[in-house]
Amino acid sequence: MARKMIFVDTSKCTGCKACTVACKEWNDLPAEKTHLIESYQTMRDFTPKTWTYVTFIEQYHNKTMDFFMRKAQCFHCGDPACLKACTSNAISKSADGLVVINPDKCIGCGYCAENCPFGVPKVDVVRKKAYKCTGCVDRVENGLTPACVQTCQPGALQYGERETLMAKAKERLNEVRKRYPGAQLYGEHEMGGTTYVYLLLDAPEVYHLPQHPSVPVSLTLWKDVIRPVGSVAVGGAAAAVVVGVLGNWFRGGYRREGGPPDGGEHHSPAGKAGKGGKE
Amino acid sequence: MDVTRRGFLKLTGLSVVALATGVGIDPAAAQAQGYALKIEGCQKIPSICHFCSGGCGMLLYVKEGKLIYLEGDPDHPTNEGTLCPKGASLRAVAYSPQRVVRPRRRAPGAKDWEDITWEDALNRVARKVKEVRDATWLANEEIPAAKTGRSTSYAVNRAEGIAFLGSAEVDNEESYLISKFCRVLGVPYNEHQARI
Repeated sequence: MARKMIFVDTSKCTGCKACTVACKEWNDLPAEKTHLIESYQTMRDFTPKTWTYVTFIEQYHNKTMDFFMRKAQCFHCGDPACLKACTSNAISKSADGLVVINPDKCIGCGYCAENCPFGVPKVDVVRKKAYKCTGCVDRVENGLTPACVQTCQPGALQYGERETLMAKAKERLNEVRKRYPGAQLYGEHEMGGTTYVYLLLDAPEVYHLPQHPSVPVSLTLWKDVIRPVGSVAVGGAAAAVVVGVLGNWFRGGYRREGGPPDGGEHHSPAGKAGKGGKE
Repeated sequence: MDVTRRGFLKLTGLSVVALATGVGIDPAAAQAQGYALKIEGCQKIPSICHFCSGGCGMLLYVKEGKLIYLEGDPDHPTNEGTLCPKGASLRAVAYSPQRVVRPRRRAPGAKDWEDITWEDALNRVARKVKEVRDATWLANEEIPAAKTGRSTSYAVNRAEGIAFLGSAEVDNEESYLISKFCRVLGVPYNEHQARI
């Protein structure tokens, strides 16, 4: 199955927040008490019960105001940091490109939340599970579009094959650039190409998005360097133990009738192995 | 294809081994197929959103008499499958614990509401309408002519004490019935929030 894409054309977004409601309706998430945070924005951040919300940014140029509205949710990265960080193999990536947390496997350790460059997953401390946008994987796998895309009235959200939609997105970008010269696509290459690709009307910083989102270095170090080296070290230690035991056995170190075993020879390989394991 | 007994047994054995060890089955793909739709087995009922006068089409997914999910009707010309946040959240209205589902009455001067039957409610309303209509009925009105100042009596037949208030949640058919009812009662005061 080819990779899919959701194109978020923020130039068409009216900030009606129907995507938020549709998400809650489909995923049976309860409503939460909201407050006016900035402009018409009512959610500051994701919560375990709110997987998508709209950010509002007011930009003033020559006494005219531009409303920059952006539907925020999980980007569904091509190279997801959360998947890499997950300690219990609870996070998987579907062939469509949707990154999904399996609540049955999740233990709520919060490593995904710590390592996501966009701060998307949120841990429910009561249930001890991490929650985030699923990309409506159940709908998508059954041939429907995600609930947010289905409900979007101005057509700011589109769902389709990545190649065809990306071409459309670039076409649209050329059009939008006539009015907003700073407009750009966000998510074409970021994090290995995200499934939700945005047409932003200005630089990502204006939207409080990282310009170059990346997998944290500490995570790469841990998972790609220390862990493999560590497992080699542990394996080496285990091998040393086995070799030592076998060596002793062959030399007759365990034979009771052959007199008391040589303590020094018997213990030295195990001692080395223990040190190796700790490193 | 010519299959000998020995060949058949070999093939069977190999397939059993392959299945048992999961050779040739991508576990990720198998997992991906495992998502069931929550609207599976639901009855799909087309309906109209009443939140505003736009009249968007909705599809209601109902299972065992309970509304499981609702979304825009893709075949409806008004909204083509989309819904605004108010329309999309109507399920919350249907099952809100604060929703009043039976007639209630607060007696004059009373603090609390009491549940009454539909029959009682309709009878009370009918009685009040008749009472007010009789008390405030205006059969003729004296209207002075602008030039001469001489009054002439005209038959107006108005119920002065009653007014109707519509709302955006009233649909076409209900609006028709309300205005018809106004004419029947002789009420000229039929207002709507959109005019205020």
